Amino acid sequence: MDPENVSAAQQGDALALDRLIDELAPYVRRLCARIAPTAADDATQEALLAIFRGLPSLRAPEAIMTWVRSVTVRTAIRLARQHDLEAAAEGMPMDRCASSLEGLVDIDDALARLPVSQRVVLVLRTREGLSEQEIATALGIPAGTVKSRLHRARAAFREVWES
Amino acid sequence: MNDPVALPDIDPVDRLTILAAALPGAAVGQRRIAAPFEDVWRVIADLEHATPRYEPGVAHVRVIEQRGELLRLLVQDTDGGEEAMDARLRPGWCLMQSASVVVAFAARRLGSETLLAHLEHRRAQTPMPRRSQAHDRRAALAKIDLELRTIEKLAAHYGR
Repeated sequence: MDPENVSAAQQGDALALDRLIDELAPYVRRLCARIAPTAADDATQEALLAIFRGLPSLRAPEAIMTWVRSVTVRTAIRLARQHDLEAAAEGMPMDRCASSLEGLVDIDDALARLPVSQRVVLVLRTREGLSEQEIATALGIPAGTVKSRLHRARAAFREVWES
Repeated sequence: MNDPVALPDIDPVDRLTILAAALPGAAVGQRRIAAPFEDVWRVIADLEHATPRYEPGVAHVRVIEQRGELLRLLVQDTDGGEEAMDARLRPGWCLMQSASVVVAFAARRLGSETLLAHLEHRRAQTPMPRRSQAHDRRAALAKIDLELRTIEKLAAHYGR
């Protein structure tokens, strides 16, 4: 990420903003698709809106990726929970349980079947390669909580994977 | 393996909304145009000939440099003033910027019709009283609406 481009974007340079969208959108989309697979499009758009609306107030352009990750993860969690609540209110089975076990073809499918709070820590640890401290920063929770959630999430994942 | 990375790019109209979020005071309007995407985009991409026909303040546009999607333009206004603009142009997305303004178009295919969104933004705006801001915004939105209607007529003409 070019800090000069980030600074220019913060000053309202539209072409710098355009380049920044190019650079950030694939990362934001990938995180949203893994954390909120049933609401990935909405989560991506909402996260990018929050990021670009908040861009001028970002004090440290060099820390943009940490900030982008945090905004994206929190937005994706909110949208995933909202989607689950709406599905429950309509009496529909959760999408994460909707496909048959025969359809469980890869790790992302298995992750999608976990509750959001467990899925997010496992996605960030195993798919995004973040440390427990980086996950704690992204979620705004203590590192000890991340550790215990990871432990429960791994157990739940093994259960889904082996079923 | 269903790799989420392989998901499609951001839709241009959604991209315009994201850009507008970073440009406080930007005016954005959109219109469902009764013409196919190709005809609408032929109008937008024809910067030299079409722009003076829908943008009332512009007399002439000249493309002076092109490297792939990136262009440099010389725009002469109706008062005789001239300003250089940098632009990025590709199907569905057109972004132009000078020292004083940002102008963008984004188009989405809607079957045989097209959703066209248009953004205008004055850079380095001096703070105005709230009432003037509201008046200015209404005027900007009315101007955008008129331009979109004119582009619709031009697209019908280009499509013949």
